[in-house]
This record gives sequence, C-alpha cells and structure tokens, in this order.
Amino acid sequence: MSTNRVAIVEGNLDSYLAGARPAPRLLEPGEALRPGSGLTARAAIELFEDQYLSRTLDVVARDMKRVGEGFYTISSAGHEQNAVIGAQLRLTDPCFLHYRSGGLMMARLRKLPAATPLWDTLLSFAASSEDPISAGRHKVWGSRAAWVPPQTSTIASHVPKAVGMAYSLARSRRLYLRGHYQPRPGVADAHAVLGPAHQAIVLCTFGDASVNHATALAGINAARYAKRRDKPTPVLFVCEDNHRGISVETPRRWIRDFYSNRPHMQYFEAKGTVDEIWDSVALAIQTCRTTAGPVFLRLVTERLWGHAGSDVETAYRTLEEIESVEAKDPILLNAQRLIETGAATPEALQGIVAQTRRRVAEAAKEAIRRPKLHSAAQIMAPLAPADPDAWRRAATQPIDQAQRQSVFGAHLPESVTTPTRRTLASHINHALHDEMIRHPEVLVFGEDVGRKGGVYGVTQRLQERFGEARCFDTLLDETTILGVAQGAAHAGLLPIPEIPYLAYLHNAIDQIRGEACSLQFFSNGQYSNPMVVRIAGLAYQKGFGGHFHNDNSIGALREIPGLVIACPARGDDAARLLRGALAIANESGRVVVYLEPIALYHERDLYEEGDGGWLSDYPCPDGSPDSALLPGDVGIHHPEHKDLLIVTYANGLRLSLRAARTLAAEHGIRARVLDMRWLAPLPMDAIRAHAQECGKVLVVDECRRTQAGVADSIIAELAEGAFPGRLASVRSADSYIPLGAAANLVLIGEQDIVGAARKVCS
Amino acid sequence: MSRVAIVCPGRGSYTEATLRSLPPEHEFVQAAEKLRADYGLESLLALDGAPRFEPARHLRPAHVSALIYTASMIDAQKVWADHEVVCVLGNSMGWYTSLAVAGSLSFEDGFHLVQRMALWQETGVAGGQLIYPLVNEDWQPVPERKAAALAAIAAHPGQLFLSIDLGGYLVLAGSDAGLAAARKALPPVQQGGVPYPLRLAQHGPYHTPLAQGVSDAAVADLSGLPMALPRAPMIDGTGRCWSPWSSDLEALRRYTLVDQVIKPYDLRAGIAVAIKEFAPERLMLLGPGNTLGGITGQVLLAETWKGLKTRDDFRAHQAGPDAMVVSMGLARA
Repeated sequence: MSTNRVAIVEGNLDSYLAGARPAPRLLEPGEALRPGSGLTARAAIELFEDQYLSRTLDVVARDMKRVGEGFYTISSAGHEQNAVIGAQLRLTDPCFLHYRSGGLMMARLRKLPAATPLWDTLLSFAASSEDPISAGRHKVWGSRAAWVPPQTSTIASHVPKAVGMAYSLARSRRLYLRGHYQPRPGVADAHAVLGPAHQAIVLCTFGDASVNHATALAGINAARYAKRRDKPTPVLFVCEDNHRGISVETPRRWIRDFYSNRPHMQYFEAKGTVDEIWDSVALAIQTCRTTAGPVFLRLVTERLWGHAGSDVETAYRTLEEIESVEAKDPILLNAQRLIETGAATPEALQGIVAQTRRRVAEAAKEAIRRPKLHSAAQIMAPLAPADPDAWRRAATQPIDQAQRQSVFGAHLPESVTTPTRRTLASHINHALHDEMIRHPEVLVFGEDVGRKGGVYGVTQRLQERFGEARCFDTLLDETTILGVAQGAAHAGLLPIPEIPYLAYLHNAIDQIRGEACSLQFFSNGQYSNPMVVRIAGLAYQKGFGGHFHNDNSIGALREIPGLVIACPARGDDAARLLRGALAIANESGRVVVYLEPIALYHERDLYEEGDGGWLSDYPCPDGSPDSALLPGDVGIHHPEHKDLLIVTYANGLRLSLRAARTLAAEHGIRARVLDMRWLAPLPMDAIRAHAQECGKVLVVDECRRTQAGVADSIIAELAEGAFPGRLASVRSADSYIPLGAAANLVLIGEQDIVGAARKVCS
Repeated sequence: MSRVAIVCPGRGSYTEATLRSLPPEHEFVQAAEKLRADYGLESLLALDGAPRFEPARHLRPAHVSALIYTASMIDAQKVWADHEVVCVLGNSMGWYTSLAVAGSLSFEDGFHLVQRMALWQETGVAGGQLIYPLVNEDWQPVPERKAAALAAIAAHPGQLFLSIDLGGYLVLAGSDAGLAAARKALPPVQQGGVPYPLRLAQHGPYHTPLAQGVSDAAVADLSGLPMALPRAPMIDGTGRCWSPWSSDLEALRRYTLVDQVIKPYDLRAGIAVAIKEFAPERLMLLGPGNTLGGITGQVLLAETWKGLKTRDDFRAHQAGPDAMVVSMGLARA
C-alpha cells in the first residue's frame, strides 16, 4: 500500500508540474512572494530544493528497505515545511529534533560549508558505520558541526534537556565572559554561542501526539516556570501538528486549545502558504530571541505514507481520507505557490525534481556498499569511555590552598574537630565546596539545595559562597532537574544535580537511562553530557519516612549501560569518591550516580553510643595519591582476618563491621569486611582477590532480594569464575518499607549477618 | 551519457608537457586571441606553440592563467557534449574556470576574470606559495607532516597561512619571511624525485589575507561582472554548493571576488562533496596537464571511495573499465 501511495504522491507532483503554466510575470530573485513577506523568490526556490531533497530521501529509504538495504522508514514526508525553520535559524542555535526533521536538516546543513546532508542521510538509512552522527547505531538526525545533538525522540524525552540547555546558556555565557572557564574541547563553536555578540536560542521539535508525554509537559512547564522567575530560557518549542499519532487522531484544535493561552509562553501558528509559514516562523524566532523566553509554535503539517513504512494506513483511514491528506502535500502546494506567484517556472521545479531524484538514487547505490558495524566492541566503544590514568591524575590534582582559604575561611575542613563537621553529610558538603573551587563550571542544583542548603544540610552555604548562578533551587520535578543537568552539560558546564530521594528518581529515570547515558552511544562519542547525579537514598532511618524516603533498590540504575555508581558509607571516603566521580564525568563525559545513604549522613558512632567511630577527618585535596577513589578502589577492614570475606556497601558496611565484632568476640569467626564503594562497575577483581584469600564469601546487600541490589551479580560472577569456596548472601525482603519500627522487619540486621556468617563458616 | 563531475585545474597545470594544447582554429582560442590583443598581451598561440617551454615566460601569471583557462574550456565543451554534468568544481583559479564551465560566466567574462586577476597578482602582491605533501609515496597519510605544517602556520601569524587544502598536499602561502620560516620548520621530504617543501614559481600568496589588494582591485573593477545561474551545480572552495536554480548571484560574486581570494581554498572538501552529494560515475579532470590526477586519487583513497585504500588499489581501479578519474589533459598528451 505504502509504495503505491508513494508513487501516487510523486505522480501528483509530476502531473501538476507537467501541466502548469508559468505566471505571466516572473518575480525577481530578491522579490517577495507577496508584498510584505520576508520570503523572496530565490529563498523560496532554495527551500523547495531542500524540501524536495528530504522528500526524495524518504522515497529512497523505502526503496532501500524493500531490497533489504535500509533499516528506517519513519519519514519526513508531509512535514517538509519544517525546512522553513532550518532556513531561518542560525547554526549557533542548538537543535533538539524529532524524527520527521528531514527538511529542517537539509535547510540547516545547507549553511554549513562542505556539508553532505544527502550522503549522510543515506548512510544513516543504511546503518553504515560511516554515518557521521551515530555511526550506524540508530537513524537519528544529528550533526556535530551543526550543533544538532542526536535524539531518538519517540517519547519527547528530549524536551527537558532542550529546556535545560536554554536555561543554562545564560549561566554558561556569564561564566564564559567572565573568563571563569573555557568550555571543554569538543563543545561546538563555544565562542559563537557564548560570546557577547550572539543570543542563541534552542530549538526543540516534537509532534502533536508526543507532546502529550509527561516529559514534554514537564519540559514546557519548566520553561514557563523559569520565565515566571525571570530566568532567561530562550527555547522555541515547535509542535509539528499532523493531527495524528500513529493511528489515533488528535482531537481537533487540541494543540491550540491547550497551548495558545499559557501564561509565560508566547504562542504562534504557522500555516497556510509557504510565505505565510515563513513569516510566522520568522516572528516566532524573533520573539524567542528578543524575549529570551519560551515560545510555542504550532506548525501545521501532514503525514504522508503512514507512521512508518510498516504502518498499513488503510487499517484506520479510508482511501478518501488518505487522498485528502495527499492533496495537502506541502511539496505540491509549495510548487503551486511558487509557480502561481512567479517565484519559479514549472521547468525550474521539474529540473530540481529530476536532478534530485537522480542523484539520490545514484548515491544510494554507493551508500549501501559502505561499511557496517562489525563487532560488539566497535558498537560499544563510545558507550563507556574509560581512561583510569587520566581520571586519577585529575581527581588527585591538588587544589590551591589560598583559594580554599578564601572560600572556607580560617578553618579548613581538614582541621576541624567538631563532631558535627566530621560526618558523612559534612564531608560531602566540604567536598562539594572543593570541587566548586576546582571547577568553575560546576553547578549544584535541585530542590531545596540553595538557600536551605539541602534537606539534610549537605549543600549548606554553597549558594552563599558561590552565588546563585552556580548553586540554585529548581522546581519540584526530577525530570526537570535531570533535564537541566543534561542541558547544562550540553552548554559546557559540569552539573551536579541532586535527586532528593532514590524513590523519586523513578519518576524521571528515563532521563538517565534513555537520554543522558545513551548520548555518547548514539552520537558515537561526539556529544557527551558529563554529570554527577547526587541521590539521597537507602533505608535505616529508624522508622521515619516510610518507603519513599527509605527506598532500597538500585536495580533500575544498575542495568543502565555505561552508568557509574559510587556509594560512600563513611565521610572520608565520600569526599574521595566525589573527587573520583567528578573526574570520571569531566575527563570521559560519563554520567555518574553518587548514591548517599541518608541514614549515615549524621551518624557519629560505630559500636557504642558516643564512640565517634563513624566520624572521620576530611581528606585534604593535597595531591596525594590517596586523596581520591576510583572504580576498583575498595575499602578493606580487618585485612588480617581470613575466616570469611564480607562484601558490602553503605549501611551494610556499618552493620557488617558491628556483626564482625560480634562474630569475632562470640563465635571465633574473624571476618574481613570489604566496602565496595562502587556499585557499577562492580569491583570484581578486588572481590575475587580477597575472596581467594579468605576462602568463604558472604555478601551483605541492604537492597531488596530480587535484583534490587548487587548480591545476585557478585554471587553469579564468583560462581561462574569457579570460586571454590562457599558463597552466601543476606538481602532485604522484597517489600516496600513500612513506617515505624516495622521497617526493621523487612531490612537486614546485624543478627541476620551474624547468622548467615556462622552458617557459611560452619 | 555518464554522470560526470568536471574538475578544473589550477595555476600549476601548464608545463612543458602541455605545450601545443590549443587547437588554433577552435572558437575559444580565436576569442581568447582577440581578448589578448585587446589587453595588449602576447598571443596565446605564440606561447602555446613556442619551440620550448620557458618558465619565466610561460609561467608569468598573466600568460599561464589564460593558457590554462582556454585549454580547460575547450575540454569542458567536449564533456558537456558527451556527458551529463552533475557538478563543476575546480582548484584555486580553477574556480574562475568553473564559473565559465558551468555557464555562470560567458567564455569572455570568464576570460576577463582570469586575466585581470592574474594581472593584479603581478602587481604588488609580495610573497608566494609552497606545497608540502601530507601523504607518502603510497598515498598513505603521514600525520606528523600535517601537524608540522599546521604548527608552522600557528607559529607565524600574519606571515604564514594555509592557502589550499588538497587533501594529500597542503599549499601554504605567506610573506617571504613566512615562507622562509616554513622552509625551516617543515622536515624536508623527497618524494617522486621532487624535494619538498617546494616553492611554487610565480605564485602569489593567494587565498590568504595577503591577497587583500587583489580582492580590493577586483571589487572595484569587476563588481558588475555579469553572472548568471549556472547550468550545473558548482562547488566552491569551501565545499559549498551553488545551485542552478537558487544561487544568490550577488553572494556568488562576493565569494568570487572577496572570500576565496583571501580565505583558504579547500579542494579536498570540494571533491568529497562532489562524489557524495552528486554521485558522479566519473570525475573529468580538464586539461591542460594532469596536476590533479594524483590529488583526486588521494582524496578518493582518504574517503575509501569504491573501497579503494591504497595507491595500488587506485592504479588497478584506473586500469579497469569503470575508471573513475579521467584526465583529459593526460589523454591528449
């Protein structure tokens, strides 16, 4: 069906052009299509070239699929008026595009010397490893040189980061202009975007169906919220309204009704003739640029040939409906408009059509012969770039003491003796100070992190000391927080967002899973969004807070490809881990989760009340090799013990140390305790080595039993590695955490550890 | 009718081997001779038919440019008659030829452009160009050579510039001091019996800010140059395409008279854009000579076009029935 409709739509254009008569008077190249319009005859023809190139690529994509050489057929056919946006934006306006953006990309890349949009698109259809943006990993619209980070965009999950980037541009520019930082190498044409002469806006496109996604609503809401707070957020939302999501029709006027009267966001519509669309788009862009606030543009489009090549449109549309859509084909209507206004002759448009068809078809024959991805290693190469030497060098760089004194005052954190300033929370706070000194581009933000200094005081005084531009409160939405983080990273900053509770991460986890962690993969390492996501979590808060403040599952994080997870238990480790985490993010563009056990934030004691066993001295960032911790750097307690190896982390470390004392004192079992510190990647080399020495292993995992923690993986790794000794684990129950003392009934306790240890040693 | 891209040669293409390139009766030769007389310049046929090649005489910019332009235009005429021309590009002065080959300028206006640019270059532009290979004898990249060239440019701002990126070679241009510094900085290379870096005889510091005077003169004198939409897409020295239907002729004039005179020329990008965006079956290298044969081959290898990776691959491909590079100057010689 689709193929026939393709031929019919192409035939409609040919028939029209064959029968069309030139206008009585041809326009001069610089003459507008109608008085007062900004679209000249010359620009209109140029636009038609780009639009028809996009159309032809869509036709050929289906031809390629038919012969088993093409792998993507979601097309831009019917959406080509988006080329008007591509023609009018600057190359220094970053674009976050949805998948029907062929016309826009053709028009945008025209501005880039030596660009090869036709060839690049064919390579992406063919999943060639030479596809310049994703290297065959996905059909995405993207370009390093044209500042179009690749998006898959099927669920509008790119909207929050587009808003985040718009929100971050002003901060980035401010720091840049003050000479406070030089953007990392690879940030496209930073001066052009951040320099004083430019006022970049961020484009974010989506469809009328995908705008209903929670992520889209969150992003648009965040942009309006920022505007309400007078924060510059120049983002141009373009809803390409084709009135349908796959088979489901969008209610009439849905987009207009919902978005045309939203406070703190201007609304425009682009519809009608190509020159009318041109002028509406111009106004929307100008408004966004001059007001530095969010603008919503509804661009009326049509969807030709179904959702994708595999979509049988006749299953939900009548032939009459299909034909009525085809009659509104923008290529056909633009051809009519150009000829009737005298902007072009039928012969000129026929020439464009013929030449474009020919060259795309010929180029496709070559494109399908280009190399494909050939090994898992090649595919995964950009997923998790690792340079441990560089990480260690960066993480152990000393920080200038004079600068530290100017921030901390006379009492540097390493010299304090007050117990309340030697806790886990305090040392994370100190380490955040140090990293903000070390990296002027570091931003700390989240709910309540600014003036209040965090729910648990972890970010105290950061705003006061480093200013609102670098430490700020966001609205109460985790999706937005992670969107801002990605956007800030795109703008060259180094974000440390805070998710207040682990349970709330799941509200927004796709921003890490589907977006942040996939960026290097889908851009073949050309784009990265380095960040350290601080998440307060895990249980043992003495019955307070219930499940949502005591969530004990990291399963959803552990399965994300490329994600690094650091998890401190003690204050001194926390500082050193944060340095490592920042270095991994900054040096390799990685996304790192820094999981903070809430119950240990203010814990002072280990064995007895008042023993101060959980307090620690702050490790000075003095350049010493042990001033930072990297993946694989585990903590070993009781290294002289050899009866049993207890492998654990976070609250489990404190519980295990207490249990180890009981085991030694009461049962004669001398257990060595290994603090993993890193939960992804797992420090298996160290675990194996210590397991070998101790002969028996007990994994103490405070997360829920079934795939919520790390125990299954560690046991499986050891078993598959033919570890000869006994293996056991204790894990919490597969339950949500109840309120009050009942919480302890579903969490592992010291006695569980003691019991399991005795059993494994029996 | 095969789909072909036309590639127009630059200033180095007229040599001893290309004497007698011009058929005296050809309409372009006749027209050129008339124009030469109007300029009061020596007859092209006299130069072309000279018993021996005299570098000082033949390579004078005003002579060699006109000889090359005329010879190239004659070849182009044959290509248009026999093939479907999908795009036109050229190297350096080959851009002027491209404009005429593609029909954006008439033969006569193209001739004026070439002739005047050459004459302005002879008056008062100090400095010159040198060429340096970035690939070895087997056409494989030697990255340290490129690094050395770029470092030399960076070390002498205002004196030394990137002039032309040929892919397998770089042309650097600069003041005499800049060129002297480059000769010192670039490790000497003997390749194909030629010692590099090699100063290009009678070449000015084109495609650099040092040629601003030429550009100023061109703008003052040629701003009325009558340009038309080309018959086929043209690819300029930045790799940008100029459409037969939508080119901005004022921008085209500005690019021709200003931008490409004072900014680097990227032939490598031009060839890459031609093969990828216009899918030619053949690249027709216009005569005279075959200065771009190897350079084109090197770009094809860099792109692993048709799977070609080595110089031997390229030789074998060229010996086959679907040879992609056709050197018209070579065929005639």
